[in-house]
Amino acid sequence: MKKILFTGLLLAAFSLPDRVMGQTDYPTLSEVNSRVASIASNGSAELITLTKTEGGEDILVLKIGTGNMDEKPAIAVVGGAEGFHVLSVELALQFAEKLVNDHADVLEKTSFYIFPNMSPDAYQQYHSSLKYHRRGNTMELDHDRDGEKGENGYTDLNGDGMITWMRVEDSLGEYMISEEDERVLVKADRSKGQSGSYSVFMESKDDDDDGKFAEDPPEGIAFNKSLTYKFPVFEPLAGDIAASPVETRALLDYLFEQWNIFAFVTFSPANNLSTPLKHNSSEARKRVVSSILAGDQKINKLVSDKYKEVVSQKAFQQTNQGTDGDFFQWAYFHFGRMSFSTPGYWTPEFGGKSNAEANYLAWADSLGWKDSFVPWTEINHPDFPGKKVEVGGIKPFVMVNPPFEKVGQIADEHTEFILALASMQPSLELYNLEVEDLGNGLSRVSVDLYNNSPLPTHTELGDRSRWLRKIRIDMDLDDDRLISGSKIATLEMLGAYEKASMSWVVRGKGDVTLKVGASHVGFITETINL
Amino acid sequence: MGLIMVTVISEAQQKFFRAAGTPHDPKVEIAFNRYYSYEGLVENLQKINQAYPELTRLESIGKSYEGRDIMMITITDFSEGEANEKPAMWIDGNIHSNEIQGGEFALYTAWYLTEMFGDNTFIQELLADKTFYIAPSINPDARNNYFMEPNTASSPRSGMMILDNDGDGLAGEDMMDDLDGNGSITMMIRKSPTGRFIKDPQDPRRLVQVEGDQKGEYEYLGQEGLDNDGDGRVNEDGIGYYDPNRDWGWNWQPDYVQRGALKYPFTLSENRAVMEFVMDHPNIAGAQSYHNSGGMILRGPGAEEDVGTYNRDDIRIYDALAEKGEEMMPGYRYLTVYKDLYSVFGGELDWFYGNRGIFTYSNELMTSYLYFHQNAGRGNQEEQLKVDKYLTFGDAFVDWTEYEHPTYGTVEIGGFKKNFGRAHPGFLLEQDAHRNSAFTIFHAYHTPKLSVMNVQENDLGGGLKEIIATIYNERMIPTHASQDLKYNIERPDYVSISGAKVLAGYVVDNEDMKQYSEQKNSPGKIAVDNIPGMSGVKVRWIVSGGNSYTINVDSAKGGKASWSK
Repeated sequence: MKKILFTGLLLAAFSLPDRVMGQTDYPTLSEVNSRVASIASNGSAELITLTKTEGGEDILVLKIGTGNMDEKPAIAVVGGAEGFHVLSVELALQFAEKLVNDHADVLEKTSFYIFPNMSPDAYQQYHSSLKYHRRGNTMELDHDRDGEKGENGYTDLNGDGMITWMRVEDSLGEYMISEEDERVLVKADRSKGQSGSYSVFMESKDDDDDGKFAEDPPEGIAFNKSLTYKFPVFEPLAGDIAASPVETRALLDYLFEQWNIFAFVTFSPANNLSTPLKHNSSEARKRVVSSILAGDQKINKLVSDKYKEVVSQKAFQQTNQGTDGDFFQWAYFHFGRMSFSTPGYWTPEFGGKSNAEANYLAWADSLGWKDSFVPWTEINHPDFPGKKVEVGGIKPFVMVNPPFEKVGQIADEHTEFILALASMQPSLELYNLEVEDLGNGLSRVSVDLYNNSPLPTHTELGDRSRWLRKIRIDMDLDDDRLISGSKIATLEMLGAYEKASMSWVVRGKGDVTLKVGASHVGFITETINL
Repeated sequence: MGLIMVTVISEAQQKFFRAAGTPHDPKVEIAFNRYYSYEGLVENLQKINQAYPELTRLESIGKSYEGRDIMMITITDFSEGEANEKPAMWIDGNIHSNEIQGGEFALYTAWYLTEMFGDNTFIQELLADKTFYIAPSINPDARNNYFMEPNTASSPRSGMMILDNDGDGLAGEDMMDDLDGNGSITMMIRKSPTGRFIKDPQDPRRLVQVEGDQKGEYEYLGQEGLDNDGDGRVNEDGIGYYDPNRDWGWNWQPDYVQRGALKYPFTLSENRAVMEFVMDHPNIAGAQSYHNSGGMILRGPGAEEDVGTYNRDDIRIYDALAEKGEEMMPGYRYLTVYKDLYSVFGGELDWFYGNRGIFTYSNELMTSYLYFHQNAGRGNQEEQLKVDKYLTFGDAFVDWTEYEHPTYGTVEIGGFKKNFGRAHPGFLLEQDAHRNSAFTIFHAYHTPKLSVMNVQENDLGGGLKEIIATIYNERMIPTHASQDLKYNIERPDYVSISGAKVLAGYVVDNEDMKQYSEQKNSPGKIAVDNIPGMSGVKVRWIVSGGNSYTINVDSAKGGKASWSK
């Protein structure tokens, strides 16, 4: 791990990007990196390069805080969980910029780790001459497990610089024209007596002559499919072994050493903020826990309520609450931290369309967006001689990333949400500190430890994990002065607004020091005069 | 050359008389009645490698946590085909650092194969057909710690990373304390008016509980050691406690589900080295990972959640091999981890099978049956005291000796040494090493062996010819385990024909009923999903021309075979 501290001198080498003024589209990777460097020039920020991806791109983290930042509760903000979700990188970046420029006061109590882009290899496809929804990094992978790696990717058949779809007129096909929008194809529902008239594929040729299309694109593992919780072993974009990409391991190695993170906010397609995860008692009771625990559902509900208060967009078709091997579920199920994810943006409900694509097109049309659809156009396809093949469909990226001019408001609201989450963080306080004289030089010290927060100090799941520290209580005095009570004790957890009472009997005079806390809930130190 | 051989043999004949089945005049002398440190194991591997350069390659497959090389010796007849194109057997030992004898057993196999090669036809044929990859210790750091530092028979189990075992925010602040300085952590007892034990008058090594109405003399204080951090507990934060055998990438689970797991699969560099080697060597078709103790031949699944991974076809093969193993290793029982032992997620044997489709066992070495050929049970103290009296003559036990303890006052320290119980006493080591090696040889022998047979030609007229060939697997293990077939883990086996113009190609489903599955693309190279054990598959081509042609079989786990007309 390489630590770079940007001094004023070094800073002169970087030109400050005018992030709002000139920007009309999502940043290129080098623009992302220079904005990260610019943020790192702030005195409260430290830039660390965790590793380089197989594609040679840096995996960066900005650690932002003041004073003893490792002993303050921290929130980790993660962008670029999916390479095609370029909005997520922008949201993480703008949060970091707003934090250091406009909200530095928050750093008194909270530290932040910002991972702006976990999929830099895939991210670049947005700005590439061939644009498509890419998830995988540049590792070589045999997605279709036929013994050859990356031998059948996409082909830009209509030469428009992007990969959309192709439909083939086929009486045996499974797809039909949607009743909601004739540009959209939907699967024929045979239980309703519908029959198909099209086959639909990604825009491609059968490069390896196996009768399948785009089944083994030349890309590697998707970060958001590479983690250990419900790892989808052997699936395309996942590979054979969990956490095999170097960027996944570098991130995890780093996180396992940052004991102060109490919560994660991930900008990714999953959404547990519009609706909290639902507790399922039989799944939660299993040895391999596969439902949020009951106590943690309450945390999720509370934070979700806050999200809906701050973020104006109303939920529509937000049904993705986690996919196998993703990061957001890992942070809770395998790392024991509070974990929240939102796509940041989605198409709102419009015109009563139930199909997501039809709904998107109706909305885009209503706003006069011209850049959302490639009209179906006939081409000659070498693999379908004598058949009518048309290329077209909704353009890549547009359904998950809004036009750039919309990003400002989304970033403002999500910054406000993260700051609101910080203000809710677990907070240890001491009350009712009393020293009673028992005579003959003996004193009883008693105190109440109170968690002044609507959130507990530990998630219920984190309480089971060795990777989330217990609250440690140290009474610093010589062994021979302690008549009763522990010199070192640990406390499993304190619930929301919960207290724990403690007492010691101490011999003799002289100050003693009580230190209480854990990295992820902060420490308090009290000198007691005896 | 011939003259020298004669001379050597005659000298040997003067001094030795051959015992059946054993190298009687080995080039490399290794005593198999003692244990070897990491350096000792490596030195022996180097000697074998130097003595048999035509049969061995010695390499480091990676580094341990403390930077030691994980040494692995490849054994095959290098004059007969490429090592990585022959069906192979992986053998490792010592993943748990205190489970030491896997190192010697694996070393014995390497030594035995090389030393027997010169004059044993079976071994010659075996090494012509197969490759052995043998890594005697995949946990070398903590192997040495077990030998050289104070330990019990059960410590350390991990490697040498030091974690915060007791959750107090400090790592390794209360290690083992060898109060009597003999290298073994034994027990502490103390005279006490309320104690419920007395020393057996007939055998003072033995503490016995007194009758309910009798007054005792001693109390147990637990493990030999000190409370170094003042938290009221002894030896509670030493090396480890993670478990290298919970670190493998099949159904891996985190520590709160599977205690001993680390951050993600293959957090440990030692395991990662093995994983990467195995991924790079798809010819590995069988594997053995040695543990101790209890005398078991274990197969997966490690966890009940994984029962569906092991299906009936594969279990039949597991059963056939292991049931023979029970005969070869008296006192060893064939068991399934999750139901006969305990549940394990992230174990090595499950990764080898579940992720790579490799037929894998873990033998739990050493069974007390070997002492008196009785089933007294694991860790039977009465039997162990008897062993130490009549067979090891007191060498396995530390007699109770007084010690002034800073917390407990006058105590007595004593008990069985760390090298007794789990580890074989020296006189049992060689025999059991041989039996276990023989089992791994049997296992390796039954990795696939492919041949092309019964090539039939039928003239179809008009210059067309039908060719049907049988690809036979002469051994029990298939080229693809059912787990492999389920997930397409390994590529198919390819059967190709050259020297004839191929017009159509088929896999034969039923020759008599003329049922065939046509392969339209590349019919000259038929992809066969699997070649089952002790059985075969048939392929069919329609060709024109081709009076002399060649049929080649290319299988990742099954090796290569060829037939020419």
